[in-house]
Amino acid sequence: MTKSLVTLTIDGIEVSVPEGTLIVDAAKKVGIDIPVFCYHPKLHPVGMCRMCLVEIGRPARDRSTGEPIFDEDGQQVIHFGPNLETSCTTPVGEGWVIRVNSEKAREGRKQIVEYLLTSHPLDCPICDKGGECPLQNLTMEHGPGTSRFLFDEKIDLDKHVPLGELIFLDRERCIQCARCVRFQEEVVDDPVLGFTNRGRRLEIITSSDPGFDSYFSGNTTDICPVGALTTADFRFGARPWELNRAASICPHCPVGCNLTLNTRREARAEGRDVIKRVMPRQNEHVNEIWICDKGRFAHHFASSIERLTKPMVRVNGDLVQVGWDEALVRATEGLKDALGRSKGGLVGIAGGRASNEDLYVFRRFIEGLDGHTVLDDNLAGGDLTREMGVGRGTDLGQIGPGDVILVIASDLHEEAPIWWLRLKQAVERGAELIVANARATRLDRYAAHIIRYPYRRAVQTALGLLHAVTKRADLSPFVGDKSLQKVAKLFMKAENAIIFYGREGLDYKASEALAQACASLLTSTDHVGRANNGLIAVWPRVNTQGAWDMGLQPIPSGLGEILEQASAVYVMASDPVADDASLETLLREDTFLVVQELFMTPTAELADVVFPARSFIEREGTYTSGEHRVQRFYPAVLPLGGTKSDWRIVTSLANAMGIELNFPSAAAVMLAIAESVPNYSDLTYQALTIAESQWPHVGGESLYFGGNAFKNSQGLGVQVGPAAEPGEPSEVALTMPVEESEEDGLLLVPITRLYDRGTTVLPSKVLHPRLERLHIELNPKDASHLGVIDGAQVEFRMNGKRFQLPARLVATVPEGIALMPRSLGVSVVNPIPVQISSVE
Amino acid sequence: MLAEKYSSEIESILAKYPDDRKRSAVLPLMYLAQCEYGSVTLEAMIEIADLLDIDVTQVASLIGFYTLLWDRPGGKYRIQICTDLPCALQGAEEFAHQLCEKLGIQLGGTTPDGMISVEGVMCLAACNGAPMFQVQGPDGIQYHERQTVESALALIDELRKRDDSG
Ligand code: SF4
Ligand code: SF4
Ligand code: FES
Ligand code: FES
Repeated sequence: MTKSLVTLTIDGIEVSVPEGTLIVDAAKKVGIDIPVFCYHPKLHPVGMCRMCLVEIGRPARDRSTGEPIFDEDGQQVIHFGPNLETSCTTPVGEGWVIRVNSEKAREGRKQIVEYLLTSHPLDCPICDKGGECPLQNLTMEHGPGTSRFLFDEKIDLDKHVPLGELIFLDRERCIQCARCVRFQEEVVDDPVLGFTNRGRRLEIITSSDPGFDSYFSGNTTDICPVGALTTADFRFGARPWELNRAASICPHCPVGCNLTLNTRREARAEGRDVIKRVMPRQNEHVNEIWICDKGRFAHHFASSIERLTKPMVRVNGDLVQVGWDEALVRATEGLKDALGRSKGGLVGIAGGRASNEDLYVFRRFIEGLDGHTVLDDNLAGGDLTREMGVGRGTDLGQIGPGDVILVIASDLHEEAPIWWLRLKQAVERGAELIVANARATRLDRYAAHIIRYPYRRAVQTALGLLHAVTKRADLSPFVGDKSLQKVAKLFMKAENAIIFYGREGLDYKASEALAQACASLLTSTDHVGRANNGLIAVWPRVNTQGAWDMGLQPIPSGLGEILEQASAVYVMASDPVADDASLETLLREDTFLVVQELFMTPTAELADVVFPARSFIEREGTYTSGEHRVQRFYPAVLPLGGTKSDWRIVTSLANAMGIELNFPSAAAVMLAIAESVPNYSDLTYQALTIAESQWPHVGGESLYFGGNAFKNSQGLGVQVGPAAEPGEPSEVALTMPVEESEEDGLLLVPITRLYDRGTTVLPSKVLHPRLERLHIELNPKDASHLGVIDGAQVEFRMNGKRFQLPARLVATVPEGIALMPRSLGVSVVNPIPVQISSVE
Repeated sequence: MLAEKYSSEIESILAKYPDDRKRSAVLPLMYLAQCEYGSVTLEAMIEIADLLDIDVTQVASLIGFYTLLWDRPGGKYRIQICTDLPCALQGAEEFAHQLCEKLGIQLGGTTPDGMISVEGVMCLAACNGAPMFQVQGPDGIQYHERQTVESALALIDELRKRDDSG
């Protein structure tokens, strides 16, 4: 669908743009900046502020014949109307002549600025936006130096209106552009901001409970063209020009949103650099110019005072702080000693929070000692996403008409908010979305088809789809109903198809069977090996995909068995004991345990040696996103004294133990990765810093246009293709599901909530009012059988322990199910039947 | 709950709009709530939002836009004096000021007996009849044009009496 081109002249420059392009955008493309306030390239134009006024000349036409009129020199006559027009609402026309910087147009804009300033407080010296404020900049450029209005007639309005706990409104500064209101409504579909009253008394309100209830609220502060909206985290925190910046990647989920970390040296922090705010960095392939509020506000863990800063070793049963040399000696001796003993070998456990560099050297080290590496994660299928994954060039922003996306067993709004947003937008462009889950989620609203299956039957459902496509006889037990047939047809017809699969309601083995079924569905409908096709796992951690790519993977049966055999255990960026307390006894016994961590976790408390690791803001490295985009993050602040990057801790220890692992830098580790991981072969740190220019223009000179998101000059990352050679036979083995017998009681199913109480969230006090509280969710019918009312205490026993917590009655919870949000205090790894009763 | 008391009214209001345009029913439903409670209470807004499948903010934001709607309680009868430019030129502001003085309240205030509120509003499209106001009360809306303070006070007396007898 290519649109025909329209040619016009803007301030003497001829430009050809696709039909339908707005004048304001056409001008931007040739470097002519038309100032705007209400217009934003990611929002529908509304023409509310009149800042973008220009003179528009249209070719004159003979009224009777409709033919263009030419003057005696043979030049087409251009007719300029008497009025200025808004360039943000007017699409280009053939042969038009636009005057942006004519005297008349400049005068018009000057008047608009003067008008906007009649009731503006002009408190730039105490305004968070001062220094990066479109109104300030455009006033400098277009505004009059003095006001003709009476100061005494200025209306005073409230300056500290909390729109909920995260965002504050200064009513005086608001210029009523409705960017915030439109963002909430159009972009993220949380219409919780509105205008009320009129004229000077117009006011932004929210009536949601809690106020401004949206996972994307922080973005409004970036696109607000004045300092009317500020975040609780940053307001009055620093002046923009004092801030340093470093490019980073959000560590909270597999989307891998590009960030800019703004830092400043502070006396309060004894002269250290601290993170003042987290801002989106533009990457149109990943997060555009948005991030979710978790990414924006849950950064405080990285600079928490609870961080470990000194190595520790166990002396007489207690962990005591020592120097690095001593700790390395203790670790070396302890490992040698433990491995020398007859009992089993070394087990290395790592989590998906670690970078590719960490994970690569970790595997080399553990395997160098004939040990066994384990990825601490309970979603399977990383081998499939590695081999097949999504084709190179995949961009969710390009998915549209004719394309199909299936999301199964995942709640994207909670697990990966920006993916949720990108899929919603794909639907708006014309893609068809199929959502399959055991309960209703926020994504359902955009689905062309919703498949509802009972928990524990996700695999059967996927196999049913596969049967509808392949008619394989061995799959006939899974034949589904008509709607499944319909979905299967959609899939076969689809030009491009992507499947996102998650782990809701599944144990590890079931998730493996689900991944296989999904992979098979893609291969049998020919949706692999091409851009915008393939399989994506909704990983629980930012770099789980990278961990699989670096050669680590979980153990299907869990950690118990292998730990029982181990005589030494090495843990990096993972806290297995927190998830499964029963591992405690295994690790406590005569196992030699080394832990690299940010915090004194339950696992670290059992360790013989603890090494303090650096957080993502203090070091460099790469993460591989769920879409297989490898992206670099950079050091933003000086590291806490005494900490080292995970990969460096591993190499120091490796060398002390006689294993050659010498890397001068993280970049050098990447070179080694490129040599040994086939689909990473063309990766270098340089390649990852390439940043082509992107549309729309944001930040810097264009902040009035696209908002305060940072322009990406530090790299868009590189999407690596599937590891499997194209054309390789792509037969996927299937695992048939085991039918689970129905058990008494309710099935307790762990689910994910964005604002949990995990170690990477809890240190951010600003989010505390929004954090989920420990509770269990029941269907109202089940609850009434149990005699439980909303908010009442219930109890159950699990693995021999008794738990008591409040119940919440939620109509979308399927009958027979109890939902337990993860990381709130009670750990449920896999779905498990429990007997719930009310506490008198 | 509105839904219990006015289920048939609500149904007939909703029936006027296609299913995917339900939100268009927001104004009549708010008016219904206001007739019932004297103002559109937060509970009513939440109920309306649920009925129409929109966010409560979208309901609440309309209240300030329309002079016909209030989100807080006031007098049983609301006297809304147009103070927009054409009426102001005919002395509407002075009229409003004097009327309030006689009633012993500020513009926007309510008399101690809870019967009468007076407020200034934008053009009511009766500019030729200035000074003018409309009265909103339990029995709907009436226009009163070419008013003087005396005629307005007489009307207020009558409203108070009407209430005593009814
Ligand atoms: S708060 Fe900011 S974004 Fe919202 S309307 Fe006011 S000026 Fe525009
Ligand atoms: S969507 Fe995920 S990666 Fe993006 S900001 Fe939120 S938590 Fe971070
Ligand atoms: S009217 Fe064009 S930018 Fe506001
Ligand atoms: S200005 Fe008062 S009714 Fe029009």
